This record gives sequence, structure tokens and C-alpha cells, in this order.
Amino acid sequence: MTNQESIWKRLIVSRSLSIFVVFIVLIVLFTVFSPQGRFLDPENLKVLLAYGSEFSIIALGAGFLMVTGEFDLSVGSILVFCSFAFLKFFGLHLNLFVVLALTIGVGALLGLLNAMITVKGQIPSFVATLGTMMLWRGLTLWFSGGEQQACDVSSSPAFVSFLNGNLGNFFPIQAMWFIVFGIILGVILHLTRLGNWIYSTGDNADAARAMGIRTDIVKMLSFMVVGILCAFVAGIQISRVSCFTARTGEGWELKAVAACVVGGTSLRGGIGNMSGIFLGAFTISMIENGLVVLRIPYFWTYVVFGLVIIFSVLSSMYIERQKWAQK
Amino acid sequence: MNQTRRFYSFRSSSTLVVFVTLVVVFSIFTPNHIFINERNIAALGKLFPDLGIIALGIGVLMICGEFDLSVGSVLPFCSFIFAQQMIADFSPFVSFFVSLLVGAILGLINGIITVKTKMPSFITTLGTLMFWRGILYVWSKMMPMSIRTFVPSGSPFQKLMAGNLNAYIPVQVIWFAIFAVILSILLHFHRFGNWIYSTGDNRDAAHAMGIRTDLVKIICFMIVGVLCGFSACMQSVRLGSFAATQGVGFEFKAISACVIGGTSLRGGIGSMTGIFLGALTIPIIDNGLILMRVPVFAISAFIGLATILFVLLNNYIERKTR
Amino acid sequence: MEYENRQNDDIVRMVNIEKWFGRVYALRGVDFHLKRGETVGLLGDNGAGKSTLIKILSGYHVADKGDIYFDGKKVVIRSPRDARRLGIETVYQEQALAPNLSISRNIFMGREPVKGFGIMDKKLMDEESMQALQNLGLRLRSPDLPVVTLSGGERQGVAIARAIHFKAKCVILDEPTVALSVKEVNEVLEFIREIQREGISSIFITHNLYHVYEIAERFVVMARGKKMTDVLKEDVTLDDLSELVIKSALVE
Repeated sequence: MTNQESIWKRLIVSRSLSIFVVFIVLIVLFTVFSPQGRFLDPENLKVLLAYGSEFSIIALGAGFLMVTGEFDLSVGSILVFCSFAFLKFFGLHLNLFVVLALTIGVGALLGLLNAMITVKGQIPSFVATLGTMMLWRGLTLWFSGGEQQACDVSSSPAFVSFLNGNLGNFFPIQAMWFIVFGIILGVILHLTRLGNWIYSTGDNADAARAMGIRTDIVKMLSFMVVGILCAFVAGIQISRVSCFTARTGEGWELKAVAACVVGGTSLRGGIGNMSGIFLGAFTISMIENGLVVLRIPYFWTYVVFGLVIIFSVLSSMYIERQKWAQK
Repeated sequence: MNQTRRFYSFRSSSTLVVFVTLVVVFSIFTPNHIFINERNIAALGKLFPDLGIIALGIGVLMICGEFDLSVGSVLPFCSFIFAQQMIADFSPFVSFFVSLLVGAILGLINGIITVKTKMPSFITTLGTLMFWRGILYVWSKMMPMSIRTFVPSGSPFQKLMAGNLNAYIPVQVIWFAIFAVILSILLHFHRFGNWIYSTGDNRDAAHAMGIRTDLVKIICFMIVGVLCGFSACMQSVRLGSFAATQGVGFEFKAISACVIGGTSLRGGIGSMTGIFLGALTIPIIDNGLILMRVPVFAISAFIGLATILFVLLNNYIERKTR
Repeated sequence: MEYENRQNDDIVRMVNIEKWFGRVYALRGVDFHLKRGETVGLLGDNGAGKSTLIKILSGYHVADKGDIYFDGKKVVIRSPRDARRLGIETVYQEQALAPNLSISRNIFMGREPVKGFGIMDKKLMDEESMQALQNLGLRLRSPDLPVVTLSGGERQGVAIARAIHFKAKCVILDEPTVALSVKEVNEVLEFIREIQREGISSIFITHNLYHVYEIAERFVVMARGKKMTDVLKEDVTLDDLSELVIKSALVE
């Protein structure tokens, strides 16, 4: 009981509070204002959980990386490149799980490459991943001709139900993956030694290095986590739509940053937690869905994103001031 | 050896090397050497200042230690205002000044939010990027608007913003050069330039020396806003219409241009010569690759690659020379 | 009052200064004065309040209570601009210079001479910076060198030359010898002697009693937001002084 209390208390004073408030307020708003409360309709929830999880999973990785003090603008491009890789591996008539594994390998490599440029080249990750963002997107468009290409995975029901099925009659498996990744990354970040290394690397890389932490490796691993998650989502997406689209993931890089910032992660590294990132990631997906349900033109999504970011900026400024006052 | 070392100790030298190499490569390898064809150069001169002028402003802002991602939506927002004003029967000149004013105000908002919240401008302008783009889409319903009738070919305003100085030199190039010269004087010879550098390099020191660093930053944000307003009008007049998709992706291209121009993301380092060359290099990559029949949508790959390679090269040189 | 008869000698007089952050007291009724041409060593443990006191004088913080007199007049210092206008110049350990800017641009930072329309007089800046450095005994190759290429001691020299050049009436030296080699420390102490020769008052904040004992004429020891001791150099030995610092840190 006391333990629960302290968790509750920690949540209140933590940076996750503002995202929690935003999250609840949005749910209430969408429920109240959607015609016939359609937002909470099981069909809509299913759609939200299935589609929304694709972006949310990637945002988890982006947040994880942001805690190490780096970020990745190339997530959308890694996603599309991995989709294309999936398509090509699919063409080799391999077992689909092997195809997925190979795709994940590609994702990990792209993540590693980002890390090498950032860490070995000593370039701010902003520039490095801005470069790879343009690079991978451009190459994918070039190789694919920018066209949609069919990639019918329905021949393997096991594979489809692995990435695009339901748990029971209702719960979309994508949402389960989102939760599973959330928990895995949460455990790594908050309970393991590696997690501690990640926080110290992000907070004060010099100090961490002085304490014998290999910050380069920590950063590489985190970049690779992002790449792997992007590749996994590429698999999920293809199994849902059964084709490769060259435009998938466009604009996700900034949406992912938005999700993490809204979730209380600091761009300067060292600050942030998995529950905040998790809620932030889901909130961004929820806003997109909620506005559709409310029949608000899609353009408004940007206005709402903008407002939510500015709100979270202001609230984290407020939290910082409170902390100062307590000192 | 000594000569090369001295050459490389100028930060813009690697930009110059990249620039010259690209020009040579494109001149040789484009079919029929069409790249150095005067018609192509004239066409390039009409197109590149749209982004170039904005990149100049972004460079100044980056030296001051801040970013502006919102240029990609401030630009079409100003275009929209420009078109709206003319449709409401204001003269092109009045509409133009309104557009500049709106640009300045949007810059001011970016500046105030960034300075007051003490948040990285990456985040704050990401917020305004999305916000203004959303407002623009909602307001304009994404419908293009023709403004050709208000600024017909040959009208004074059209001549001023999109005409030709003589057979070869488009007036846009002149504008780009004028802004480059003004900003160059501002950065390198004016006391305000010294404040910009000190604010970006060591904000505490600048503050201790009595420089109002917040004000300096806000003014730099406003410079970017005004340049967006200018570029918006220039682009709209050239196209003869407003389109809600104007300026999409400019935020990243402008930063690429400045990075290739040797500007540091951390502030305090950079020069107008470099930024000027960087602002030329990105459009040259665009143009040259199109002439080499590379598909339009693949071009970003090369810009990305160029950005990374440039920064790697620059870091390498810096380590060697120190 | 103790101060009355020598009031006119004081360049700085801070009376009953109080400052708290949130609920925590940083300064509780501190009196501090600095005579014309005098060098005072300001000593104390971390958190003793010495840097808060100095930041109030240099305009970074505003006192919650108390008065400041400068050159005999009561003044209000709300920002570093105000302080600089009065002639209070601060030499911070790492914060005083912009590393990538040239020496002359650093020396004239915020007070650039202009020829009109705000255009800087580069020639004048270069000449005067070199002259100012030479007066300090520092010979550097060119005023265009970025400060980052200088040694730690030379950097302090640039900051001190700046203070002297602008005819500061009071120079605050915030840990100027920290993280310097022995040779560089001697250089910096020599620069401070130049400040003394110019007749400029200075406050020397440091942890290192050896450095400050060589140079200061009076010592003020602070602990937990209060002034504990105020002694002239001729009244203490180095050992006494070090004992004073340790003791005042321990007293509850």
C-alpha cells in the first residue's frame, strides 16, 4: 500500500504529470464531442490501437535514444527503407519470419550507421541523421520509382496473425507489441545497469566516461534500438496493407520528437522516463485518430500538435521553476 | 604545405572546394554540358534565391545559437497573406509590406517563446512549424489561388520581384546578392554582428558584458521571419499563384545549406561567405542532378549524403590543422 | 559608525544585504566595503555566500534587502549592464570570453567603437587591444586570433586587459587562478599587480589562500551567508588565515 502511494506521489511530481493530464483531458474531450461517443466505440478503439501503435512503437525508440542525449531524424526514412528491404527479401521467396529477421538486421545496420557517423565522426546527431533522413528516403524513392508495389503476405497466416492479428476477439496485436516494447525498454531504462549508463551518458557524457562507462557503445546500442523498432514496424505495416508505399513514414521524424517532448523527455538528454514517452507516443496517435472521429479536417491535426508541443514546453518550464523555488 | 594549411584555416575554404568541385563535375558530366549553358544558369538564378534568401537568415540565426524549423510554414503563410491582401484589392506593394510585417511578427513569436521558456528552439519552432502549417491549411482549405491578374507579367511589381535585369540576369539573383551583402556587413562589420557572435559563442560572457542576449536572439528570429516574407512574395510572383505546399521541406534544406557553409550547430561559428556558398550549393546539387537525369525524388539522397560528407570532411580538416 | 570617517575612501559599500532563494537564505545581513585602490580577498567554503554577494554586486542577482553605495552614491544594480555602466567589471573563470571570437572582438564585446551606422572601427579595436595587452606585459601575435587558441593564463590576461582598458573602478576576480598551471598562475598574479598599480580596486575570490595571501591587503571570510571575519593582512599570518577559514566553516 505504502509502495503504491509513493509511486503515485512520484508520478505527481514527475514530468510525466503534464502528459498524463493532457492524455486524460484529450480522452474526455474526444469522448464528449465525438458524435454518439464514437471515440470509445470498440471499432474505433480497435482502429486506434492497430494503426496508432505503428507510429507509437517508433516513438518509443526515439524517446529511448533521446535520453542518451542524441536524436534521430531519420526514423521515417529508416522505416521506408526497411519496408523496401522487406519487399526485396519477400521477392526471394523465403520464410516470412526470416524475411522479417533480415529486415530487422537492415534496420539495426542503419541505426548503427547513424551512430557511427554521430559518434566516430563527432557530428551532432541532428546533422548526421538529417543527412541520413534525406539519403535513405531519396534512395528508396529512386530504387522503387516512388510507386506502390504489392507485397501479399497472406500466404502465411501465422505471420499475419503475428503482426496484424487480434488477441482474443478484440485486442489488436500491434497494441500488444507496443506494450511489450514499452515494458522491455522501460525495464532496460529504469532497472538495469545499461539504463543507468544511458542516463549518465545523456546527463553528463564526460562524467560517465570518467566513470568507465563506454558512452560510445551506449549511444550505438540506443541508435540500433531505434533502427530495429523501425524495421519491426515496417513488417507490421506491410502485413496490414499488403503493399509497399514509398511515402510511408513521411513527417514521422518530427512527430516522434514531438511525442517525446510531450512525454517530458529533454532534448539535452538525461531527463525523461518510459511512462512519459509511452503516454506521449500514444497521445500523438490518439490526437490523429480523435480528430478524424470528430470529423475535423485533417489539417487541424497540425494545429493541435503545435498547441500540444507549446503547452508541454510551457508546462515543463513551470515545473522547472517550481523545482527552483523548492531549492 | 604551408599554403594549403593556411587555405584550410579559413572555415569557408572547404565549402569553396565542394562548390567548385560540384560546378566542375556538373559542367563536365551533364549531357552536352548543359549545366553551364547560359539558359540553365538563368533558370537556376530564378529558382535558387527562394531557398537561398531564407538560408542566409537561418545562417545568422544559427550563429546566434538558435534554429528555426518553422520557416517551412512561415513562408507559405506569408504567401497566403500576400495573395489574400491582393484579392482584397490592396496594391501589390502594400500586400508585400503586409507580408513582411506578418513574417516579422511570426519571427517575433518564435523568438519570444524560445527566449522566455528557455527551451531549445528546435522544439519551440517545431511547435510553431506544425501550428502555422495547420492554421494555413485550415484557413486556405489548401486551395491554390491565382494572383497572376494582380501582378501580370510586365507590371512594375512583377518586374521588381521576378523580372530580368538584362537578357541573362534574373532580378532574384540581385536580391539574393543584396541580402547577402547587407547581412554580411551586419555580421562582420556592424557592432550588432559582434553581439550575435558573442551571444551564440558564450551567452554568459555576452550577458556579463552588458549585451542583451535575449533581444539579440529575438531580432535574429525576426530577420528570418522578414526574409521568409520576402521570399514568399518573390516565389508567389514567379509562380503567379499561392499554393499551400510552398516551402515544404525548406526547414531542413536551409539548415543543410548552412551546415555545408561551415556554420556550427552550437552557435558562434560561421561566416557569411560560407553561408552564401552553402545557399548556392544546395540548389546546384538539385539542378545538376536533374540535368543528369537523376529522378527528382532521389535528389534528397544526394543532399543528405553531401551534408554528412561535408561535415565529416570539415571535422577532419579541423583536427588536422589544430 | 565604524564606516563614517572613511566613507569617502570607499568605492563600494554594501550594507545589510539579504538574499534568499525560495525558502533558503543565501545572505543574512552582510556588510561589505572596498576602499579605493584596495585589493580584498573574499574567502569561504562552498555555499558560504561569497559568489551570491558578488553576483549581487555585478548585477546577476538583485538583493532582497539592503543598500549598495558606489563611489559615495546610493545605486540600484539590476543587470550586468547597470554594473558595467558604473565601472564594475567581472573576470570570471571560464565565462568571461567567447572562445571562437577574436581577441579584439572579445575585448570590445558590448562596447564596440563605431564609425557611424553602427559599423565597427576595426582598426581602432585592433590597435587598442594590442596596446592594452602590451601594458599588461602580454605580447600576442595578432588581435585576430580566436581566444580558444590562447593558454588559460593568456585568456585571463585578455579579460583583465579589458577591465583595465575600460577604466573599471572595481574589478571582481572570480577564481581567476583555478585550473591553471603554476607558471600561468604567476602570470595572472602579475596581471593583478598591474591592476593594483593602476590604482583600481579589486575583489579576489578564491579557495587558494596562497594565491590570495600574496596579493590582497585585507581578507573577508564568509560562512553560511554571514560575514565572519574582516582582517587586514598585517594582522594575520597565512596560518591564522587558514585556521580562520576552517573554523568559520565549522561553527554552527
